[in-house]
Amino acid sequence: MTRTYTLHCIIPPHLLEKLLSSDDSEVRQVALDTMLTTARLRGERAVRASFAGAAATPGNARRTVFDCQNGVFLPLAVFARSEDGLESADDSVNRAFGGLGTTRDFYKTVFNRNSVDGRGMRLDGYVHFGRRFNNAFWDGRQMVFGDGDGRLFSDFTGCLDVIAHEWTHGVTEFTAGLDYHNQSGALNESMSDVFGSLVKQWSLKQTADQADWLIGSEIFTPGIDADALRSMKAPGHAFDNRLFGKDPQPDHMSDFVNLPDTEPGDNGGVHINSGIPNKAFFLTAMRIGGFAWEAPGLIWYESLKASHFETQFQDFANTTYRKAAELYGDDSAEQLAVLAAWQDVGIQISGILAGVARARGLAADRNGGTGRENGLATVNKQIGALTAQVTGLVRDVNALKGQVTTGG
Amino acid sequence: MKVTWATHGGQAAGIRLSLPPKALDTDALPANAAAELAELVAAAVPVAEEERPSRARDAMSYTITVEDGGRSTVLTRSDATMTPAFAALLDWLEEHAP
Repeated sequence: MTRTYTLHCIIPPHLLEKLLSSDDSEVRQVALDTMLTTARLRGERAVRASFAGAAATPGNARRTVFDCQNGVFLPLAVFARSEDGLESADDSVNRAFGGLGTTRDFYKTVFNRNSVDGRGMRLDGYVHFGRRFNNAFWDGRQMVFGDGDGRLFSDFTGCLDVIAHEWTHGVTEFTAGLDYHNQSGALNESMSDVFGSLVKQWSLKQTADQADWLIGSEIFTPGIDADALRSMKAPGHAFDNRLFGKDPQPDHMSDFVNLPDTEPGDNGGVHINSGIPNKAFFLTAMRIGGFAWEAPGLIWYESLKASHFETQFQDFANTTYRKAAELYGDDSAEQLAVLAAWQDVGIQISGILAGVARARGLAADRNGGTGRENGLATVNKQIGALTAQVTGLVRDVNALKGQVTTGG
Repeated sequence: MKVTWATHGGQAAGIRLSLPPKALDTDALPANAAAELAELVAAAVPVAEEERPSRARDAMSYTITVEDGGRSTVLTRSDATMTPAFAALLDWLEEHAP
């Protein structure tokens, strides 16, 4: 599939063209200057990048890092480091360069994916964006990192999982293209957290039970009382302090947060409700055990590729269940782990009754998973409830018999 | 002139969700600071409507509301559509935030 990219310049090209026909000569001149400058910068950057990457094969996920020098207009950023260049004297540049490379290697080694688009797309990173900028983002083509304000937040290149998070937004864009609103948007965010965390675990060679499952654990300055931006292990518990309030992420559908689909509402809570699928992945990984990027990661990656623009939590859960069967077989430990994990966050796989899911989930815990005790307790409760129902029915039948006898 | 501004979304959206907007009143500022702010506001008022890119992810969005003489002007931008003038205004506001 071929995609066309447009430059996000300050004034859209069609408006610049309109301004060129303005009655005001100054407006015309400004528009013309802007168009010429943009065209020149585009050309310069293309030439600069091709020169910088001359030793690397074009289309081979080649990395280039640019320094925004605290500006906010990406075309004005200056070249800082490329594949064949020397290490920079700037730590932010080197961290971004390293993070882009580790994530690239992870996707290639673990999923045989060649860069963000699967076809070796070049990887451009921008550091020192803006002043005291407390964020990192994917702009649809490249990754941008702020320095943090130094008061609450530190440099966003300091967290490998944050770099991998932005990188994965690109993967999602080129696969499912999950709409960035409401549940599909929360899934989009969750994919970035899942693979962001997996990149960190992979680089540290940690098993699921050794990992911290935190996103952005180094993002805050030392004086801030907060663990991270988000916790996949315990959504809703990443921070709780006077400055930030309490982490609003839910870990169960019963606590799903309904927010307006507006920018102030985080597009329907895309960074909030991602806690639910995040927890489902964590539980799956813990039940399966071992390295989370292996079976759990593969199931999620294949499910992401099989998803689409409007995929909802339920759809995605069903897809992971199906993919687990395709990859590891029906009723395999992996499939049962997926089933139980979604059940634990309040999502029943379609077509499977809750009691059956729970019983099957128990099988997933045979090897000793975190859900074992919860599963046993639930089944015991269900057996108790069923026994009570049967007892009640027997009582009712006896009462009816008595009425029939009396009436006869 | 009263200027109110709020930041939404981004990697730290969960934190920003509970933060109230910030506000500054030029009446409470020294004359030179008030004049600076007025200049920055005038420069940031967009000449054309902003194009919202749909593919930006984790980009923060900003709303700056300027109330002056009974008139209210709302300026909005995101990290992916930031202009130097808007960035300068935002930067100034953050630096002078109460």
